[in-house]
Amino acid sequence: MAFKVGIDVGGTFTDFLVVDADGGPRVFKTLSTPEDPAIGLINGLGEAARSYGLAPKAFAAGIETIVHGTTVTTNATLTFSGAKTALLTTKGLRDAVEMRRGIREEQYNNRYINVPPLAPRYLRIGVGGRLDRAGIETEPLALAEVAAALALFKGERVESIAICFMNAFANPAHEQAAATLVRKELPQAYLTVSTDLLPAIRFYDRVSTTVLNSYVGPKLRAYLQSLVARLEAFGFAGNLLIMQSNGGVISPDIAMQQAAVTLLSGPAAGPGIGLGYARAHGREDCITVDMGGTSFDAALVQNGAAHTASEGSINRYRIALPMLDINTIGAGGGSIGWIDEGGLLRMGPQSAGADPGPACYGRGGKLPACTDADLILGYLDPDYFAGGKLKLDAAAAKAAIQSALGAKLGFSIEDAAAGMYRVINNNMAQGVREITIKRGYDPREFPLIVAGGAGPLHACEIARELEIPVLIVPKESSIFCAAGMLVSDLKHDFVRTYVRRLGALDQREVGRLFAEMTNAGDALLDAEKIPEPRRRHVARADCRYVKQYHEVSVEFPLTALAGADIKPLLARLFHATHNRMYGYSLEEQKTPIEVINLRLQAVGVTEKPAFREESYAGADSSGARKGARRIYVPEEGKFATVPVYDGHAMRFGCRIAGPALIEQVNTAILVTASFDCVCDKFGSFALYRKGREDLVTSAIEGR
Amino acid sequence: MAQERVNVDPILLSVFARAFRSITDEMSISLTKTARSPILCEAKDFVTGLYDADGLMLEQTENLPILAFSLAPVCKYIRRYFGDEIYEGDVIFHNDVFSMGNQNNDVAVYKPIFFEGRLVAWSACKGHQADIGGAVAGGYNPNATEVWQEALRIPPVKVYEKGKLRKDVWELIFANIRFPIVEEDMRAEMGTCVVGERRLLALLAKYGHATFEAHKDALFDSTQKMMEAEIAKIPNGVYRGEGYVYYDGRNEGSKYTIRVAITVSDKTIAFDYNGTDPRTNGFVNGTYTSSASATILTFLQMINPNIPHNEGMTRPIEIIIPEGTILNAGYPKATTFGNHLCPPNADAIMRALAPVIPDRVTAGWNNLLCSLSTGQDAAKNDKFVDIMFMGMKGGSGAMRGTDGYDHIGMIDASGGVLDQDYEMFEQQTPHTLLKHELLCDSAGAGEWRGGLGTETAYRVGSEETQIVTFGDGDFEPAFGLAGGKDAGLNRIELRQPDGRVVTPRNKDLLTNVPKGTVYHQIASGGGGWGEPKHRLANKVAAEVRNGVITVAAARDVYGVVVNPTTFAVDQAATTKLRAT
Repeated sequence: MAFKVGIDVGGTFTDFLVVDADGGPRVFKTLSTPEDPAIGLINGLGEAARSYGLAPKAFAAGIETIVHGTTVTTNATLTFSGAKTALLTTKGLRDAVEMRRGIREEQYNNRYINVPPLAPRYLRIGVGGRLDRAGIETEPLALAEVAAALALFKGERVESIAICFMNAFANPAHEQAAATLVRKELPQAYLTVSTDLLPAIRFYDRVSTTVLNSYVGPKLRAYLQSLVARLEAFGFAGNLLIMQSNGGVISPDIAMQQAAVTLLSGPAAGPGIGLGYARAHGREDCITVDMGGTSFDAALVQNGAAHTASEGSINRYRIALPMLDINTIGAGGGSIGWIDEGGLLRMGPQSAGADPGPACYGRGGKLPACTDADLILGYLDPDYFAGGKLKLDAAAAKAAIQSALGAKLGFSIEDAAAGMYRVINNNMAQGVREITIKRGYDPREFPLIVAGGAGPLHACEIARELEIPVLIVPKESSIFCAAGMLVSDLKHDFVRTYVRRLGALDQREVGRLFAEMTNAGDALLDAEKIPEPRRRHVARADCRYVKQYHEVSVEFPLTALAGADIKPLLARLFHATHNRMYGYSLEEQKTPIEVINLRLQAVGVTEKPAFREESYAGADSSGARKGARRIYVPEEGKFATVPVYDGHAMRFGCRIAGPALIEQVNTAILVTASFDCVCDKFGSFALYRKGREDLVTSAIEGR
Repeated sequence: MAQERVNVDPILLSVFARAFRSITDEMSISLTKTARSPILCEAKDFVTGLYDADGLMLEQTENLPILAFSLAPVCKYIRRYFGDEIYEGDVIFHNDVFSMGNQNNDVAVYKPIFFEGRLVAWSACKGHQADIGGAVAGGYNPNATEVWQEALRIPPVKVYEKGKLRKDVWELIFANIRFPIVEEDMRAEMGTCVVGERRLLALLAKYGHATFEAHKDALFDSTQKMMEAEIAKIPNGVYRGEGYVYYDGRNEGSKYTIRVAITVSDKTIAFDYNGTDPRTNGFVNGTYTSSASATILTFLQMINPNIPHNEGMTRPIEIIIPEGTILNAGYPKATTFGNHLCPPNADAIMRALAPVIPDRVTAGWNNLLCSLSTGQDAAKNDKFVDIMFMGMKGGSGAMRGTDGYDHIGMIDASGGVLDQDYEMFEQQTPHTLLKHELLCDSAGAGEWRGGLGTETAYRVGSEETQIVTFGDGDFEPAFGLAGGKDAGLNRIELRQPDGRVVTPRNKDLLTNVPKGTVYHQIASGGGGWGEPKHRLANKVAAEVRNGVITVAAARDVYGVVVNPTTFAVDQAATTKLRAT
């Protein structure tokens, strides 16, 4: 049998989606093991093997591909738990990474302080040696100063080193010479050389990205080494791929060296799969939200594609690498409730994580987390959490809420839990505002695709806050990103710098460079067993008007290179793109165009798991009703007894009136009093504002 | 025209507010990506904005706020000036400081936006141009006494009418400006206005004009209420403060005083500058809009920072600046330095309000001292002009509970204007950057310390380079508050290859600076807040280890004894020292 496995390691849970050629997809979920996430991952694979009735080795041998997303690097940055990192740079310029070009993002806020540097000042050493702007050496590298810096780093037990020298984009020789010394003197240290990671001009972008890479690299390397070894021991001999922030995947070897490309990869698989569910309702737009144990991710998909950015930041640290535009905030099932200096109830961003986890996990957690509140509010069945695998301890949840919050606020335990629920929902609604209202889009026009284990308990209230009338909770919502990974395409990016006036472009030379990149891409796609018909090659040229300092990337058909003169085509495309993006072109002025970089993306289009359509089974849901429970109804601000349904027994067309709860093994869905629910033809739960059946007519009428 | 009645929808109101901001942000990105001058594409010395049909501010992206609060007054002026002769496809240039402009070099583009055949709004942007004619390349001319020695005056002028280029007007303007990149950068500004126009038209097409109008008015009203509520938090009264300007560029030892009387009366606040010293006979003079911008941006830092920036925000604020004073010199005086009277103006306001709202006023910020170099880049056979942004950025003042911000720069920008990227600096000039680091012991000491300043050095790479200095802060340091210490002084020195050291005055013009000269600059820190001996000893020790406080200063100023090798605090010695 040939399996494909998507594995998403979150802060609290590790999610699995296993697809085999014959049967439908199967979902698994295990607790994450933050001290070494590979342990939880192997546990989950073992569980999957049992489910297929196979011995672990036999199952492992049948796995063709594992696509894996990890938040190891993200968490290290957000919690300041990366490596002890040093920077070797050009003398006189060691503070660039701390001063961040002198920006204060909130100009009028005098309480807004800078972020701490990831390499502390006493471990940032400038050494002599200089290249000019053309990369010509004007002063040799001061090897003795490099050696002295390395001696300091050794004495300080530095774990990771970043090297970034002035003008190295034009000549990496000094960086390489220093790197050789580092490898000799500190062979155990993780090393990032700026021009290996990002061979592009702009010192600040490069030094910041390089330091980030070194800060998170050792953790990712240790993790992936352990993972590869454990997978091998488990019997896996297939292809392991790691999710990148740009929505594509890469090999673990590259990920270990370029750890920063995974910094925002955790949620990067979400928008693609979210669109798939939106399409079931005839929509090419959606907002995807994913509330896991630790973080909440929100992204906007418009006209069939997720918004992307060529650069961005994590926790205000700049990364000049391509990424999907996803807003992440610290809100999840593990988010801890606390009282601030002003006496206000706050939720997160600190998370109880998986270990000890929320107090109700009974693993020694003493602080009240969002999951504790969800339990007290009746949304979770203590005997059916994770399908009954983890028995929740309501007494522990109550004690934690009482001692940390209730007593201080003078609230009952239930009122304090309701407060926690409301505060975290408001935080998440703000997170959605960031990617919609703040960018000028009205959230009410987009269906909200809800994912993550805790998401469906909170989504109605987020939607109510933003007046979003329709929500879709996919059957696989709890393992949303794991599913997304299996629909991610393989993406390999190549770049060649080719600086010419467009008029002087040599088409044969350009053709040769593209052939080089295409061959390199095909070699990787061969290794990944992607047949010819599923390969795509996307060619781009970065162009600008002379004397501009930023380029516009224009896409053109690769086949055009074999035909007539490509210059008029590139000029036309560039003028038009410049006009569309920036409101003008200089076509009339005949301003010369410069080409800077040629880029090729080799894409291996993966086979997407088919959404299996069910046949219409009628609106009656009484067969799925499994009982009733007393829960907190947020609109009414009080507890009431509501029906509980078995989500696994609901079929296409089944309708439920809110307030109600729908339980599945890995997710519970709260349909609040403002919403009703109908099961769509793919088994997703479509929730709509009462009275707005018009938004989900296809499911209601069974067409 | 009768408006159909539209109910205001609170969610749509915030969608409009955010959409306006998103549009001005997108305009800002557009100009950053398309401009040639590093002053624009690297340092972001520009502002983008949207205005309603009458020129009322809808929203702005204020990379440099000192430019920001003159766009709406000029828009209103242009609206009146052209009256009925405003057409779809017009593009209007403006820089004239005697018709509400703030500084000659800050040249604005205004584009009227038409929807369904009528004028509904304006998109505009204004950036600091690399040159604007006048006697000195780059515009800063300490010898100027009248505007004509400084710049080409551009009162409102249509360069496009009904979509057609007025070639003669265009050529008249650019025949009077030295650098060809200015022509390109003005095209980039025009493109930026088109970006704003397209996005606003898309919004109008979606929601309709009546909805736009109703929500715009509601937005102004709601912002006005927010502003009034902020003002109401300040006790009623009249509060006075002073700030000082040192050296007018002509008279050695000269000093001028800015005097402000701030009257808080329930929901309104008035800033009255009567009593401020008269104008100078040089270029150290403000215009009304540059001085009023300084007042607004300083006050905005003392209130809720999330207040939207539209017309409603400014309604409860009255600003009186008598003509003939240093803050509002009047026709036809030279005024290029006017933007840089913001720091002493801010000092006056902060000194007035510090005793009244002590938790919202910082100690003094490092005053601006800047320089601009021009010359010929031999290797590229091309002229260059560069404002030394990275060198000028000192620290901000501390406040109770918060240290000052390191290397944030002048209060007029408050962290909105960025350093040149080091490598782009070397691409765009023939200079070599030697040093750009935080400066040890530069912060004003305190329980909460001021922001750190920086030390910058570059080697001049062109023959016959011209360097203009403009600024202050080399006579009076940023002041401390509540027992916090003052910071240090600014300084610029030129060490020539022959060993001679030249120390320019704070407003000076140096010609023929030899190749190989090392330019060296100190931008000092911000003032401290509270008694330094109350600062946590561990914080002091950590900063000693990081090399931003010396062992001696830790001991003498903070009363903390730090081991110079282990960087541990000697608790016993510290307790003893702090007790004395």
